[in-house]
Amino acid sequence: MSAARLEALASILCRYSLEVQPGDVVRVHGPASEAPFFVAVTRELTRLGAQPMLRPTLPSVEAAILSMGSDEQLTTVTEVDRLESEVPDKTLTIWADANTRYLSAVPPDRQALWSRSRRSLSDRFFERLASGEIRWCGVALPTRGFAQDAGMSFGAFEEFVFGACHVDDPDPVAFWRGQSARQAEVIERLAQISELRIVAEDTDLVVDVAGRAWLNADGRENFPDGEVYTSPRHELTRGHISFSFDATYNGHDFGGVRLWFEDGRVVRHEASRGREFLAGMLDMDDGSHYLGEVAFGMNDEIQQSTRNVAFDEKIGGTTHVALGASFPEAGGTNRSGLHWDIVCDLRSGGEVYGDGELIARDGRFL
Amino acid sequence: MSDRRVESLARVICEYSLRVEPGQLMLIEAPALAEPLVLEIVTRALEMGALPRVRVAAEGTQLAFLSEAAEEQLTTLLPSAMPEMAAIDLRVAIHSAWNTRELSGVDPGRVAAVREAQAPLMELYMRRSAAKELRWCVTAYPCEAFAQDADMSLAAYEDFVYRAGWLHLPDPVAAWRGFAETLGAVADRLSGVRTLRVLAEDTDLTVGVAGRTWVPCNGERNFPDGEVFTGPIETATTGDVRFSFPAIFSGREVEDVRLRFDGGRVVQSEAAAGQELLRQMLAIDEGASILGEFAIGTNYGVQDFSKQILFDEKIGGTCHMAVGAGYPETGSTNRSGLHWDMVCDLRSGGEIHADGELIYRDGRFLPEFAPDLSPPQG
Repeated sequence: MSAARLEALASILCRYSLEVQPGDVVRVHGPASEAPFFVAVTRELTRLGAQPMLRPTLPSVEAAILSMGSDEQLTTVTEVDRLESEVPDKTLTIWADANTRYLSAVPPDRQALWSRSRRSLSDRFFERLASGEIRWCGVALPTRGFAQDAGMSFGAFEEFVFGACHVDDPDPVAFWRGQSARQAEVIERLAQISELRIVAEDTDLVVDVAGRAWLNADGRENFPDGEVYTSPRHELTRGHISFSFDATYNGHDFGGVRLWFEDGRVVRHEASRGREFLAGMLDMDDGSHYLGEVAFGMNDEIQQSTRNVAFDEKIGGTTHVALGASFPEAGGTNRSGLHWDIVCDLRSGGEVYGDGELIARDGRFL
Repeated sequence: MSDRRVESLARVICEYSLRVEPGQLMLIEAPALAEPLVLEIVTRALEMGALPRVRVAAEGTQLAFLSEAAEEQLTTLLPSAMPEMAAIDLRVAIHSAWNTRELSGVDPGRVAAVREAQAPLMELYMRRSAAKELRWCVTAYPCEAFAQDADMSLAAYEDFVYRAGWLHLPDPVAAWRGFAETLGAVADRLSGVRTLRVLAEDTDLTVGVAGRTWVPCNGERNFPDGEVFTGPIETATTGDVRFSFPAIFSGREVEDVRLRFDGGRVVQSEAAAGQELLRQMLAIDEGASILGEFAIGTNYGVQDFSKQILFDEKIGGTCHMAVGAGYPETGSTNRSGLHWDMVCDLRSGGEIHADGELIYRDGRFLPEFAPDLSPPQG
């Protein structure tokens, strides 16, 4: 990856996404293999007067702890863990798996146990995020692993990612401000709707969003970005949804996922691949049976699925829902250690109705 | 292919050096290139019921921070640093590097400023360690950069490092336990000595050690290990010493250092190369020209000078002394921002006399003074 691109990306993230201020403690965590990006971010943060709290991670260690840890070792939240979560004013998460299957040998119930035991930390993190006390952004970088999952060469995948980020634009921030304005128009429309009905192949799902706030994902919390999202009234979801793309989550492949909802709760699930993993995730806690998010992808630079939800959920012309944790700032009240996004393509024949009226067809808002 | 010796090193550190107990919170700090050793230590710590947490550094980030930071940023500790140091039960620091000259372009004053800002952190560390609330171990993971400094290939350097830890033996833990016992006896013998005189080429140095405590270093806080040290009486050091190996300060070498002491203080200093740095460092504060440490290296599994002080100060058959800060546990009262170890080879013709009696010759204690310290053959 070219140094100039990494510097440009680091600059957008620090100045536009996180709006780093002098004295901010900014935690940066992600695979240590992305050293050049850590360097670019460290430079930018330091120039801006912040205190970088650098936390490069070793995937091998993560896998060892998850697969070997006893129940007690997995569920003990230490003072070190608490400080990592409590101390930073701002957090940048780097998603960059060299090998997306690095957790494939870890039984799903171990991952679920780990996530569940960190609920007290993650709940509090989301609350502080919602209140504006802290800021967070997750950035997806091109890696060989992601490229391989997407069925692309690394070079082609790199072009795809930086294109989706608009890093090469003469003024990337201007692009993202423009995207923000376009998404704001859609939100204005969605905000008036109580009940959304999503109809597509093997999909007819009704979610209730009355009184919930739609949020504008314009590059501040995810990068690349481009979606509008809210948290539905989680006990009112009904119908079924079928997910269009194969995906990889925590090292597990899944495909052909279908979910049926009654009174908000998943009452039946199917998967052509990864069924056991799906069941494990659903059983993590009570909240993992309910939707914490419904959203529309609006990044038109992203048109192909990559098996990676960081990109796929942004595909212009798709919708996605997430099982598990909701967003308090949207008005969501569902709590869970899980937040698992699954994407449904609306681009060929999909329809969205708002309170009975057609508002989007073939992935485009009317 | 994984190297069994890495697993063995992790085992010795967890079982022997740290004596890991269930439920203990362990922090492992390392550059990311030490991943194989980090992973083995995590694995062993998990098996022993501990809670390992890992803090690795990514290549280049330290230089990026040091190059860009304003004074205030350099000297500000992260708000998590002190509470974290107060919370951990075990700490492992792994030395390894991509390039030992990485910080050569950074003003040494900036590095010193960072170190100074960390003083409260170090103080808490030492206090908890002295109170036996925190156990720690410093070790090294072989890397190309260290191998290059040692004039070795990586494969040869790996052999050097693992032999230094006696990891080629069938039961290294048993060997270290035996060594700890013998070294304890040596420290006991030395504690009765009032004056030590070191004789070697261009060296005739007298060091006062009466009433000072000798500390045996048996692999608990450094690994590999093997030395016995004390803090000399601040006003007593007299005579000349010529250091056989280059003195290294933050990656910079000072060659053929010769010091003359009188009344405990360096009164004359000379070096074949790097004399300016030597004089600058000796003058940084009052304590910098006084010995804070005198030690005898007792690891006979280390025979080569490698420019890593963790190994060099342990070479069986050498002595070393540090100008600057002494360790309070020895009784030393010398305070300084400096602690600079320099090594003197005693293996050919060197002698140590204790209160006038010869106790050490050609790099070995005489059998009538102390038992043999060689590691078992394997």
